[in-house]
Order: sequence, then structure tokens, then C-alpha cells
Amino acid sequence: MSERKTIDARGSFCPGPLMELIAGIKLAEVGEELEILSGDRGSAEDIPAWIAKVGHEYIKTDKIDDYWSIIVKKTK
Amino acid sequence: MTSLPLFIMLCSGEHEKIQMAAMMASVGAVSDRKVHVFVSMNAILAFEKSRTTPESRYQGGPISKVMQEKGVPDALELFSQGKMLGELTMNACSMVMDVNGWDMDHLVDDLFDGMEGLTSFLSDAEKGQLITL
Repeated sequence: MSERKTIDARGSFCPGPLMELIAGIKLAEVGEELEILSGDRGSAEDIPAWIAKVGHEYIKTDKIDDYWSIIVKKTK
Repeated sequence: MTSLPLFIMLCSGEHEKIQMAAMMASVGAVSDRKVHVFVSMNAILAFEKSRTTPESRYQGGPISKVMQEKGVPDALELFSQGKMLGELTMNACSMVMDVNGWDMDHLVDDLFDGMEGLTSFLSDAEKGQLITL
């Protein structure tokens, strides 16, 4: 398995973290996992909703201190 | 299931409304949805090439002020990201361009696909969801 890439979008406001994740997904290989770090409360809910909408695989969300870690696998 | 295309008619020059239009357009476009933005009336002023700073581009109220202080993603940048990452088209209202005597070179580069009339936009919008700001 390839190493998981982390995108640090802490400090960016909605929809910045989502847009950064999408840019990362565009460059990723199918099957690759990406982790997005976001301190934006709305993005913690919006990013899993976007993953479900477009059909990638949502792995998990962890709240760490004052930010969230969201992991997604590119499926297409 | 294919989502209905999203049609956004942006007329207000208020920063808050321009920001919301940019957020809807970019998020819609990256969510496998076709998005069409029609920019008219005072909103077109925010897209003048000569306005090079957020302060000169955006006029608004208290939320505009706090958005600029906190550095939220710039509306023009969000439109640009929507075009890069999804299917987003933007057209300038031909009437407002005509009354100002402007051509497309007057507007920021690489954002607009061209000019369009209201009748054409409304006709296309019958096929989707229309939101006016």
C-alpha cells in the first residue's frame, strides 16, 4: 500500500479545506488514501457529505485537540 | 443519479452575496454538478480587472469585514477553483457590459467564458435549479 498523504488545511475557512482535498484527490491514484487536517467546524461535516455525494470511500474522522483529521480513499 | 445543473444569477455588489455565490458555485462544481453563473448589475464591478485588492473589489457589511480580517478564501479564487476542478461556466451579462461600454478585456482574466443575454440564461435555467443573489 502506498503511503497516505496528509493535506494540512488548518487555518483555512470553508470551503477551503474541501477544495484543498479535492485538488489532492485529483492528483492521487485510485486506491490511495488521503488525510485532510481541518480546524474548520463546518468542513468536518461537509467533507464526509461531499465524499458520500461523489462516491469515494469515507474511512473515518478523528477530533484531535482543536482540529479534525478526515481520511478518504479515492475510488475512481 | 445525475444532479440538476445549478444556475446562479449574481446581481448584488455586496461582498457577502458574491462570497456565497462563489461558495455555491465552487462546491457545486466539485460535487459532480454543472454550474452556470451569470454576472450582472453591480456584481460585475467586483470582476473589473482594475480592482486588484479585496478592499477595492468588495463592499459589504459586518460579515464582509470579518471575512476579510480572517482571510476566508477569496471569492474570485473560489470561482477559479470551481472552473479548474469541475464544470463551471461563467458569463457576463451582455446588457451590463454594453451600458458600461466594456469588452471582456475589462474583466479579470481566465474566469469568464463570454457574454450572454438574460433571455438565453433564463431559457437554459429552465433545465435546472436557479438561485438569484
